[in-house]
Amino acid sequence: MNQVSDWGASELDQLRTLDEREQWALRMGGERKLQRRREAGILNARERIEHFVDPGSYIESGLLAVSSAVLADRDSTPADAKVAGFAKVGGRPVGVVANDFTVKGASSSLTNMKKIAHVKRVATDRGFPLVFFGESSGARMPDNMGARGMGTLLGNDPQQYVRQRETPWASAILGQCYGSSAWYSCLSDFTVMRKGSTLAVASPVLASLAIGQTVDSEDLGGWELHSRTTGLVDCVVETDEEAIALVQRFLSYLPSHNQEAPPCSEPLAPEEKYADLAAVVPDNRRRVYDVHKVIRGVVDAGSLLEFKPAFGRSLVTGLARIEGRTVGIVANNPMAKSGAMDVAACEKATRFVVLCDSFNIPLVLLVDTPGFVIGIEGERMKAPGKIMNFMTALQMCTVPKLSVIMRKSYGQAYLNMGGGRNSDEVAAWPIAEISFMDPDYAVRVVTWGRDADDGALQALREQMERDSNVWGLAEIYAAQSVIRPEDTRRYLAQMLGVHAMRRSHGVGQHRMASWPTTY
Amino acid sequence: MAKVELGSPVTGTVWKVERATGDSVGEGDVILILESMKMEIPLESSADGVIVELRVKPGEAVEEEQILCVLET
Repeated sequence: MNQVSDWGASELDQLRTLDEREQWALRMGGERKLQRRREAGILNARERIEHFVDPGSYIESGLLAVSSAVLADRDSTPADAKVAGFAKVGGRPVGVVANDFTVKGASSSLTNMKKIAHVKRVATDRGFPLVFFGESSGARMPDNMGARGMGTLLGNDPQQYVRQRETPWASAILGQCYGSSAWYSCLSDFTVMRKGSTLAVASPVLASLAIGQTVDSEDLGGWELHSRTTGLVDCVVETDEEAIALVQRFLSYLPSHNQEAPPCSEPLAPEEKYADLAAVVPDNRRRVYDVHKVIRGVVDAGSLLEFKPAFGRSLVTGLARIEGRTVGIVANNPMAKSGAMDVAACEKATRFVVLCDSFNIPLVLLVDTPGFVIGIEGERMKAPGKIMNFMTALQMCTVPKLSVIMRKSYGQAYLNMGGGRNSDEVAAWPIAEISFMDPDYAVRVVTWGRDADDGALQALREQMERDSNVWGLAEIYAAQSVIRPEDTRRYLAQMLGVHAMRRSHGVGQHRMASWPTTY
Repeated sequence: MAKVELGSPVTGTVWKVERATGDSVGEGDVILILESMKMEIPLESSADGVIVELRVKPGEAVEEEQILCVLET
């Protein structure tokens, strides 16, 4: 039935026509394509929205929109391939855009770009998050082809890919994501990827044509690449449903927009198993441990949502709650590289600090690091620049920053992890050791080129170790408190209360709101 | 009964083996300790179970992600 071209039906039939047009749009790309997805266990665009939003809260924008650049496509472009609208999630408003891959591969066109722009503008102006369910083949062809096509479609919205972090953005990679769905994912504050999906500039077919080799989609932009090597995705899941649940969870930590404080939830005690932090962290300075246990011993049970767990693993970043209040955790993890921060860890930290500062989330830094990874590999990847990005981000921050030195804090990393005045409060555990360089190496540096016997070296090392203990830091008030490990949670909860931003109703200055989303 | 393989968290050498084949272990128990970059890195059990295979001896060099131990849970 030629639904869309059937314009100008009898005026008396307008209501019936509305009905028919709605039904036609809701059938998307047709039963055959929808059935194939069902068989593969993949949700379609409308089902994704349905799973995501509070029941009955969804109101669609542009249900009757169709292709407008190529009129011949009007009958084959229900909702013009991108389903968009407004809804509530957890009782709070959101804007949502779901790519309908069953309609022309959810390719970007003149009409659907207007739909995205509208929902984005409303979400920003009225102050609520924007969520993308990404699955698109890129720009629609032939619409975009030729000089006229380019002039008509692309570049007419000068704000299309500007990210100012006024409201939170989240994205789920749920299939092939090239072009705009890749771009929006990279601009988002949180990106979850379903295994089997691809995030890339262009499709494997195009890439193969361009370089004359067969390119595999997993190699080009699969979950392993993005979770381990690029860090472009925050979490990896097995199913659409899990991805959608994670986006809901991410939003639950954030305010609706940058001019309000994050929401509070019911306080929960931390996991009993890890409550004895002194037992989790060995005082043997050579023994490593998994800092996740410390975090779980400090935050409300089950509240840690870790970002990029397989990328820059020597640093853990994640949202969590302490006594029901959202915090951003930045913690060195000795289990990976002894906690020494590499380029990936710096990039991860920078992005996370910017996120927290942009949305009024206090930062908790848990410190146990021998420093930054040194050596040729890091230098080739611009390590000094990455370290300074991280440092600048921390110093630009206007949300409360609390730093707890658990064990080691050395050199420049002492500053990057909040040492000195780089956080609002510094607390240290009694086993903390603070210095410019690990005594093992420092002994050799200061005796370089001189004759020194083993006894003298040993004496020097012991002196340096004594000088590195926590009391020096406490005496000159560079640590405001020395706390027992088991008091860490209580200390943090109280200090978060002390440093609540009362004069601005919990709202920071967001000086990094327009910083890049990738480093 | 399911088999659980425990891979090395780092590239390094095996320093101490704390448990033996046939031992029952709980989640989080230390099975062996590796040494890498002057640090001691414990290999912890990821589940409750019985050690059915210990593939390395003290002094042996191991690669990151190499399977060192197999549990039956």
